[in-house]
Amino acid sequence: MTLPRSERGPAVEQAATGRVSRSVELDAAPAEVWDALTEEALLTEWLADEVEIEAEPGGEIVCRYADGEERRGEVELVEEAERLAWSWRREGGSQPSRVELVLDAVAERTRLTVIETAPLRAAGPLLLAGTWGAPLARLRTAVRLVLA
Amino acid sequence: MPQPLPHPSGPGGDAEAGAVFAALADPTRRHLVAVLGAGGGATATGLAAELPISRQAVAKHLATLGRAGLVSQSRRGRESLFELDPRPLADAAAWLTTVGGEWDGRLADLQKLLDR
Repeated sequence: MTLPRSERGPAVEQAATGRVSRSVELDAAPAEVWDALTEEALLTEWLADEVEIEAEPGGEIVCRYADGEERRGEVELVEEAERLAWSWRREGGSQPSRVELVLDAVAERTRLTVIETAPLRAAGPLLLAGTWGAPLARLRTAVRLVLA
Repeated sequence: MPQPLPHPSGPGGDAEAGAVFAALADPTRRHLVAVLGAGGGATATGLAAELPISRQAVAKHLATLGRAGLVSQSRRGRESLFELDPRPLADAAAWLTTVGGEWDGRLADLQKLLDR
C-alpha cells in the first residue's frame, strides 16, 4: 500500500501517536541545564509558578499555576545530566501524560529535547471544552493537523 | 440516522483524545480515515476494494475507529455505511496544539533563565 506523501515522515508519526516534541539549544552545559530541570527554585522560573519535585524515581512532582490549575505526577526516570521523565495529570484528569526531557551536549552548549505523550486512554477532562462546536473549517484544519 | 459504534469501555459519545491517537497510530487506519474523509461514506466492501487487505480486516479496523468515535455506522440496504466523524480529530488536534504551545512557552522561559 502506498500512503500519500502527506502521511509520511516522523512529524506525522508523532502527531498520529499523540506525541508533542520540541527541541531547543541552550547556552549552558548539561550540568547547568540539569539544575534548571531539577531544582525547585529554578523550576519556578520556567515550568510553573510553584513547583515541588523529588528528583528520584517514584518521587512526587507538583506544579501549581497562577490561574489555580494544579498538576501532580510521579518522577519516573532520573539519569543525571542526561534524561529526566515524569508523568503528570491535570487536577480532575483521569490518566497522566508522560514528559521526557533529553539532554545532549553540543560543544559547550546543550540540546534539550522534550517529548510529551498523550495518555493512551484519556478521559473527558483531557478534552478541551469548546472544540465540539467547531465550525467545519476548523475541523478540516484539525484533520490536516492530526493526519497531516 | 448514523449511530456510533458500540463502545465497550463505557458509555459512548465522549470521544477520547488518547483513544483517537491510539486508533490513528496504525497506518492502515490513517489511510481509512483519509479515504472516508475524502469521499464521504463507504461500505466495508467498497473500502476493501481500495486497500490490499480483506473485508474482514477492514471491518476490524473500522471497529477500532468506531470505538475512538472517529467512524459512525448506518444501514445501507444489506450493508453498513461507514462515515467519518471528524469531531474527535478536533479534540486530538487541540491536545497537540495546546501541549505544544505550553512547551514553546516553557522552553522560551528556560532559555531566558539560562541566558542570564
